[in-house]
This record gives sequence, C-alpha cells and structure tokens, in this order.
Amino acid sequence: MPIFKAGFSGQAVRFSPFYENRVLVATAQNFGIIGNGRVHVLDLDPVTGSLLEIRAFDTADGVYDCAWSEVHESLFASAVADGHVKLWDAALPPTSNPVLSFKEHGREVHSVDWNPVRRDSFLTASWDDTVKLWAVDRPASVRTFREHAYCVYSASWSPRHADIFASASGDCTVRVWDVREPVSTLTIPAHEHEILSCDWNKYDQCCLATASIDKSIRVWDIRNIRAPLNRLEGHTFAVRKIKFSPHRMNLLLSCSYDMTVCLWDYQAEDALLARYDQHTEFVGGIDMSVLVEGMLASAGWDELVYVWQHGTDPRL
Amino acid sequence: MEKAINRQRVLLQHLLSSSSSPGNARIVSRLDLVEADDGSLDSAGAPARSTAGGFRAYRTALCKSKRGGFKDTHPDDLLAPVLKALLDATKLDPSEVGDIVVGTVLAPGSQRASECRMAAFYAGFPETVPIRTVNRQCSSGLQAVADVAAAIKAGFYDIGIGAGLESMTSNPMAWEGSINPKAKIYTQAQDCLLPMGITSENVAHRFGVTRQEQDQAAVESHRKAAAATAAGKFKDEIVPVTTKIVDPKTGEEKEITVSVDDGIRPGTSISGLAKLKAVFKKDGSTTAGNSSQVSDGAGAVLLMKRSLAVQKGLPVLGVFRSFAAVGVDPAVMGIGPAVAIPAAVKSAGLELDDVDLFEINEAFASQFVYCRKKLELDPEKVNVNGGAMAIGHPLGATGARCVATLLHEMKRRGKDCRFGVISMCIGTGMGAAAVFERGDNVDVLTNARKVQPNNLLSRDAL
Repeated sequence: MPIFKAGFSGQAVRFSPFYENRVLVATAQNFGIIGNGRVHVLDLDPVTGSLLEIRAFDTADGVYDCAWSEVHESLFASAVADGHVKLWDAALPPTSNPVLSFKEHGREVHSVDWNPVRRDSFLTASWDDTVKLWAVDRPASVRTFREHAYCVYSASWSPRHADIFASASGDCTVRVWDVREPVSTLTIPAHEHEILSCDWNKYDQCCLATASIDKSIRVWDIRNIRAPLNRLEGHTFAVRKIKFSPHRMNLLLSCSYDMTVCLWDYQAEDALLARYDQHTEFVGGIDMSVLVEGMLASAGWDELVYVWQHGTDPRL
Repeated sequence: MEKAINRQRVLLQHLLSSSSSPGNARIVSRLDLVEADDGSLDSAGAPARSTAGGFRAYRTALCKSKRGGFKDTHPDDLLAPVLKALLDATKLDPSEVGDIVVGTVLAPGSQRASECRMAAFYAGFPETVPIRTVNRQCSSGLQAVADVAAAIKAGFYDIGIGAGLESMTSNPMAWEGSINPKAKIYTQAQDCLLPMGITSENVAHRFGVTRQEQDQAAVESHRKAAAATAAGKFKDEIVPVTTKIVDPKTGEEKEITVSVDDGIRPGTSISGLAKLKAVFKKDGSTTAGNSSQVSDGAGAVLLMKRSLAVQKGLPVLGVFRSFAAVGVDPAVMGIGPAVAIPAAVKSAGLELDDVDLFEINEAFASQFVYCRKKLELDPEKVNVNGGAMAIGHPLGATGARCVATLLHEMKRRGKDCRFGVISMCIGTGMGAAAVFERGDNVDVLTNARKVQPNNLLSRDAL
C-alpha cells in the first residue's frame, strides 16, 4: 500500500525526475506554524508496493516546499520557514547535509522550483514579498525580484523558455517575468482574492493556470489576460496548489483546504474528472509523475503521503 | 512567538476569505489546534471550540467517617462551602451559572437532591439556578464534571458546576430491602452484590498482586500524602470548613475549622501494615491498611466556555479534553481504570506517553497496583500526592476531589505537565477516566509530543 506516515504535516511532495519510484516529501511540525521540519526521501518498493523511507533530513523550522535538481539525481532544494533555502544530497548521510544553505529571505520561504530547461538554477518565493533566483554554483542569490505587495506563495518556471517564470502572490496578482528583463513583463490581476499557486501548461507555452483562496482555478492565455480561458469551480475551500499534467495537455491536478485532490480537464464541459478524498486534513502538496503517466502523489496535514495511479483508490 | 502568530494569520487568511460556504466552520476549527479557541475565532464565524475551560476546583478536607472532623456535620454543610468558594474566588455572578450537577452515591436519591438544593441556597445561589444529582457510584464526582462539560459543549449553558458530595457518616454503605432471587441465575448480576473487598481479593488473586506490593503501595500513598500536606500543597485546593463537633466522651459541642485531611498517617510502615489481618477473606491480602478510607467530604469544579473565561479575564486552570466510562467484569471491578484510561486517552487523540500526570483512585491497593502495572505507568507520574488509601474515598466526592488535586498539581508543575488523567474503578464493574489539559498550554503553541531523538538529525537542526 503506497501510503507513508510522516511525523509532521505534509506540505509538499515531488516525484524524482530520475527515478520513477522516488518521491520527496516536505513536512513541518504543528502544521508549519511552529516547530521543526523534515524532508523525507521515499522509495516505492516495487515488490511490496509500500513507501519506504530512504533518508530523512531534519531542519530547525518547518519545510514548506522542496524540488529535485533537474541535473543531479540525488540533489534537491528545500524552502524552509525560517527564511533558509537549503540544498541537500540524498546520497549523503544526514550528518553531511545540507550541502548548501542560503539565508537571504526575510520571511518564510514558501516554494522552490527548479529550472527544467536550463537546469542550472532555481527560484524561491517567499512571504517577504520577493522571488529569488539562485544558481547552485553561486554563493548568493543571482537576483531578487521585488514587485509583489504581499506574500509570494509560488513561483513557477516556464517549461519551454529558460528565462521565463510566473509568480503567484497574496496581492491578488500573478506576474510573469523574464530574468533578462529588469522588471516584470506582465501583471495579471487573476483573482479578487489571494492567489496561492500558479503553473504553466506543459504543451502550450502561453497557457497559465492560477489557484486562489476564492476556491476557483482559472486558466489563462497570457496573450489575452482580460478574461480567463476557463474557470474551474468545485473546490469548497482555498485551492492550495495546482499542477499541469506532464503527459496530457488538458489535464491539471489541484489540492485544496477542502481536504480533497481534484483532477480536471480544463477544456471539457464537465471539467472535474476525479475527486480524491483520502486525506482527513488540508492537502499541502500534490505532484504528477513525469516518468509514469497517471501516477499521482499527495501529502496532507494529516501527515499522510499517498502515491497512486489515477483512477484507483489511493487508500487501497 | 510573534512569528508563529504571523504564520497563523497568513494561513487563517487562506480560510477566511472563502468563508461564505457553510462547511467553513468545521474547517476553521481545525486550526484550533494551534490557534487556541479564543474569541477571535468566534467572531470569524467558527464555532468556539466549546471545550469547557475556565476551571476552578476546590474541595473540603476529607475526614474519617464517624470519627473525623465532619462526623457531626450535615452533608449539605460540606457542599455549601465549596460552592461558595467557587463564587468567592471568581467573583462570578451566581445567577450566571446554568446548572449544578452533584455526584453523590450512598444517600437516598431524593433526599440528597433536596439537600443539594438547600446547599446551593446556603452558598448564595439564587432560586433561578437549578441543581441535580448524578450517581455513577465511585465516579459520580467525575461524571458530574463530565456532564457539565458535555452540556456546555452542547450549548445548553455557558457556565456550570460539577461537584461531588459524600458523607459516609450519615449514609453508610447498605442494601435496603430483599435481593431479587433472579440474580442467582445471572453470574454477573450476582457478582454485583459482592462486597467491594471481595472484588479486591479477586483482583489480587486473579492477577497475582501480592500482599507485599499492596502494603508497599499503601505506605507510598501515606508517605506522599503526608509530604504533600507538610509542604502545604493541598492549601490551594482545600476550602476550610467551620463546623461543630461533639466530643464523644463529654458530649460537649464545640466549633472547629477543618482544613486538613485527617486520615493521613505519616508513620505508616510496611511492618506495621503487615500485622493487619485480611478483612474480607481468610488468607486474603486486602486489609484495612491497604484499602481506601471511609470518609466524608465534598468537592466542586467550575466549568465554563473557554471564550467566556477569556472574556471575563478568569485564569484557566485546565481544559476538559475527554471522558470515557467503560464496563468490566463485576467480580474484578477494580480493573476499570486499566480499560477506561486508554479509552479516554484515545478519544483525546493522545497516547499514554503524552500524559504527564495520573490521578487514579486507590479504592484498594490490589486494583491500583494492577492498573498501574497493566498500563505500564511510571510510578513517578501516578498519584504524586498520595491517594484514597491515605486521603480517603468519600465515594461521590472522590471524582471532584481528584480534579482539584490534579489541576492544582499540574499548575504547580508548570508547562512540562500538559496532560493529566483522572480515573477510578466503579463498583458493579465499571471504570471511568477523563483527560485534562493544563489551561495556559492552550494559549501557546506547544508540541503534544516531543520529537523523538533520532540519528537523522542533520547538522543544522536544533
């Protein structure tokens, strides 16, 4: 049964881009409000089908997000609530970790995203209203993007362009940036409420989805931002994260404070394809495997991590 | 701490702005765990997690029945002072109290109910405040507190008093009338008629608790109770009662103030107890020395909605977390706590290790030792100020007495002592247990469970 009980509340989960059976889970004690954090590296045992812990790394404060390196199979970055950004090597024992630690953000770091095109850099979004760009070989951040007026909850690289990313903020806007440009290239007032997450369509370079505490997900064509392409409604509470499918252009996965994980086809009339309610608390993180089509993962505040194939019951 | 509050604010915002949906209240209450259910959540439309909090708990001294300080005191005169003490301490308007529930066991039901009503008037309650009694044998006092907590949670009223009263001088244990011959057919019904001492012998026999162990437990109980009394630990919880006492020799009546438990014998020793004969069974192991004392006394606990306590500026002594009553074999009724404690702890969402302090009624050393062993409790955490073998066991009052003792000890121990459990066995084969949380812990963010030390700790973890 691919279920893992973490000791702390699950904040994020990520499939490894190198191993189809490996996931990374970011957790935080006391729902991330106070206490320690821990990152688990888990392997899905092909024989028993259970999730086994390969490594676990403790941190002094809650871990809100994590992201595998796109270039090195055991390297990953984590966003820590005390403002730290840390790099870890899963191949090394905890005593030799973290390999790098950066303290630049003034407040909680809420998301980290590795550049999937250029693969040498990653972004962090923080409650200090900024996004920072980092490169593994630099001792400090490469650039800081300050334009948002409130917490930035996520920053997401374009899957096509090496230099373009979008950031979602509590100031009710999503901004699109080109790291070569001095200021943001586009501002989308995407919702009337705080925006918690954004993600790019992997097959349409102009298509961006946003998720808000207004319970809705909106899909945008960034060439025409006057109105969203689609509104996906069905969650009964704030939508915490969204993720486009790496395999199907129309599919996207979302998780919410309503304790469910939903899979959507944003172009279909009945957009909601599946609702998974395995969690008994807020769902903190979700992911879709790049290597196995239809493989989903979720991590919740109930401390449970599920990995399952779309269409099956995560609990079985 | 400021950081944590800011984090809560950011996260709470995620929930509040989408608050139009009816399911919201339920979800927001999930943040309670860290948010502490104060008024701020009420205003956000969430249900005040109506955990009854805002405790005050007082008791009278417990005195030996027929020979002790309360031998000539009317039962209602025991209850009135503790009720009054609650009002005096909180400056509460008595008319705000929604109900008074009194656990009481031996007295005739209706008479005792009347006595309690009269006691409320002595204590200064207006006629508008109702009162009732509850009888779940030895756990009646705890049941009364649980009933009030449940009623507050249900929204029947916001402030209530759970109390306990027993004068074993006035109402000795007895059976009135004949026994239904049908009882003979039903073994377990028949076992309900066993004298409690026999059930104690059964526990000792069935689970192999030796006389030595039992006497040792009694000595410990007296030693701890004597130490606690000497250190003045009971001063906070005991309400002095001024009453009259008749000198048995001269017949002279005089006024005394009772403020100390009079059953505690600091000099109790193993060798002394070893000389006592078994009372209930030839070759048995239950003696007068390792059984609870027959006593008179009363206790009372003030409960209110936490948000109200905060509003009134009353310090919160403890929070009532969970309650469980269970049934066991009447022939070994003493094992009740071994079943009830895990049930209550589980329903509080905790594990036994999370509990820092236990108050387990020592009806008999046999059952007390058995329960402690069965649950593998650390003796350092159990009955740290002695128990019923030294202090006394006025049946209906015991539960309320334990609440007073437990909460005051938790207060003394500070923040390291977050959760406490009260439990007792119940004649005719039952057990009851309740989980309490330290009041001020609710206001701050602490971890129910310490992170286990592990070798995964990385270089930069604290």
